Amino acid sequence: MVVCNFFLQGRCRYGERCWNEHPRGGGRGGGGGGGQQHSRGEGGFGNRVWVNPSQQKGGSYIQPSYFPSQGRNSWGGGGGGGGSGDGGGRRDNVKSSDFSFSTQNRFASLDASKSFADRGGRGGTAAEDDDSKKLEMIQMDMDVWESSGQWGFSCYSIAKLPLSGFPDLSPEELRLEYYSKSASGDLQTYMNGVNQLLSQWKSRIQELKSMNPNTRAALLAELNGAGPQGSSGGFGGPPEFGSVTSGFGSKDFGSPAPAQTGSFGFPEKRPEFGFTSAPVFGAPFGSSTPQTPSGFGAPAQPSASTFSFASSSTNKPAGSSGFGSASGFSFSSAGSSTGGFGNAGAAAAPAFPQTSGGFGATPGSEAQSGSLFSSESQLTPEELDQFKAKRFTLGQIPLKPPPENLLVLR
Amino acid sequence: MSLFGTASSFGTGGTGVFGTTTTDSHNPMKDVEVTSPPDDSISCLAFSPPTMPGNFLIAGSWANDVRCWEVQDNGQTVPKAQQMHTGPVLDVCWSDDGSKVFTASCDKTAKMWDLNSNQAMQIAQHDGPIKAIHWIKAPNYSCVMTGSWDKTLKFWDTRSPTPMMSLQMPERCYCADVVYPMAVVATAERGLIVYQLENQPSEFRRIDSPLKHQHRCVAIFKDKQNKPTGFALGSIEGRVSAFILFLFISRDHVDLIVNAIAFHPVHGTLATVGSDGRFSFWDKDARTKLKTSEQLDQPITACCFNHNGNIFAYASSYDWSKGHEYYNPQKKNYIFLRNAAEELKPRNKKW
Repeated sequence: MVVCNFFLQGRCRYGERCWNEHPRGGGRGGGGGGGQQHSRGEGGFGNRVWVNPSQQKGGSYIQPSYFPSQGRNSWGGGGGGGGSGDGGGRRDNVKSSDFSFSTQNRFASLDASKSFADRGGRGGTAAEDDDSKKLEMIQMDMDVWESSGQWGFSCYSIAKLPLSGFPDLSPEELRLEYYSKSASGDLQTYMNGVNQLLSQWKSRIQELKSMNPNTRAALLAELNGAGPQGSSGGFGGPPEFGSVTSGFGSKDFGSPAPAQTGSFGFPEKRPEFGFTSAPVFGAPFGSSTPQTPSGFGAPAQPSASTFSFASSSTNKPAGSSGFGSASGFSFSSAGSSTGGFGNAGAAAAPAFPQTSGGFGATPGSEAQSGSLFSSESQLTPEELDQFKAKRFTLGQIPLKPPPENLLVLR
Repeated sequence: MSLFGTASSFGTGGTGVFGTTTTDSHNPMKDVEVTSPPDDSISCLAFSPPTMPGNFLIAGSWANDVRCWEVQDNGQTVPKAQQMHTGPVLDVCWSDDGSKVFTASCDKTAKMWDLNSNQAMQIAQHDGPIKAIHWIKAPNYSCVMTGSWDKTLKFWDTRSPTPMMSLQMPERCYCADVVYPMAVVATAERGLIVYQLENQPSEFRRIDSPLKHQHRCVAIFKDKQNKPTGFALGSIEGRVSAFILFLFISRDHVDLIVNAIAFHPVHGTLATVGSDGRFSFWDKDARTKLKTSEQLDQPITACCFNHNGNIFAYASSYDWSKGHEYYNPQKKNYIFLRNAAEELKPRNKKW
């Protein structure tokens, strides 16, 4: 039978009546930390749980020992990551350790300590419970999305607005890109672009799944306020998310790149990233040695085809430090020199419209030569205005990094 | 995405798989195969309207062509004509009198193809590829509506090079459907806009999408009086949700990506096709699935019903759902025809 996707996300409206399969106890004992990840309340049942933790019973509370049956080697990394940062109203986790679910117990203490620590910091109000639920849902959705092999280049949202960091790209647009590139003999640009999109997607998913406090805070701000996060107009500075487009926070960026005319103009600029220009990008398409797929549980696909989303080998810009490495989490450490610019990778993305819609536009050749920020003299007045403004205007996002003094760090 | 590769029979590189597997699964349903199918993926299918005698099928493809077949009652298909664009064709539609076919393409133009004379002339121009094209027949006007990736929705009187009207959309148009007086457009970033077409097209309402991911296809359904009452929206997460006068039911779908939705003109039941190579028939009112096909070895990219609902056509070709490495230009594309009169009867009640 087909496994019910809604059930996996904890919101199957049909419950017992559902035509699809609701796997129960599927991985109770096995599979590592998978269970604990899902032990966060599910959206639908979450309500009951939150309000009356005392009423939790082992049976009625659908323990997510059900994680999807695909192999999930990510749990090694992801599970630990998942344990962290899920504070705010986690009190039931402590309780659930009372129920002897083996998978949970393993992590219950981890959760408990984390949760209390976080709670201390946050004060656990009802609103936060709501938020936590949302965040959990996001996490679960990320899991499903990642493991289901669905189309990755899609926007995503659980509320009205799309969540940042997920550019919406239809298969047709991508295909058109491919056709035009192959007609012009320029497939490498296409590959690079695709690889980059892939790595962006993966890292964003990783981020959302592991939900560290920075991501969490930013997400919540976005969900609730939808204002530009952190660096107001500061570009690329924000260690907060580190995720590619979301550095700007404003939901304008949810809809990035291939805005105008469907041409992406895959990134060829910003040499400082080191990953844009083909040679540095390193991994020639498809032939890179398969690193252990960091979390897509796609054992069958060692040969790193980019679109498999499986292999992390695609984001292997050997030269550039730390960006898009397999764990996908290098962003939060804005310390790495080009790592901080991981964001700008996305800025390069939204900047496409600027490049006169040309495909694979030539490198912007603002030879920044590795300096992180531009001096004001290097920027045109329009660019300066953009940086100074609260939000970027799509289509006018500067290609150059912002001047240091404009950066507002949280 | 290649996770999918474990399950499916296709996607293992594609080369040479066709015909060499033990079970040739390109047509597991044993449906009638249309002769001379296009050479590249089929993006859209459309049957002729009831005003014309006989059934004619139009298919647009990524090989830049639009082909027309006559479908005879015994199931034979006779290729009739073909027109070319300079870019892949993304959508086709018929005029209401069945004399003209409108084709929309990635070359940013739309053409009107007069079948009698076999001439095609350009009638529309956009700044980006045109993803959706529909003919609108209102009591006081008729025009062609084109939705494009340049975020505009334009309405064309076919005689003039400038549009009658141009409406701005928040994002790129991904799919649209028209049943007078309602038009629904789904855009990127989960945009969903309903337009009303009386007197002149205007935006009626923007709806928050219930689906979490990218919109892929939309189809309006009608009640017995042929008035539009709601629409079904499919997304890449494999889910189709149906809006009935803004009340919605969401139904999970097995397909990986729902590529197209079509409503049976008589029974009001719907068909969905997806990237896992299956099509399914659903009764949206009883919320039941009437049938799922066997899995074809390629994704199904387009489908449509003929005007009286007897024939269901679906196209089997690659939809790019797994990126370019699964694209095999040598693999043959198919269009299949299936007798749809019986299978799509609603389960409980007559529609």
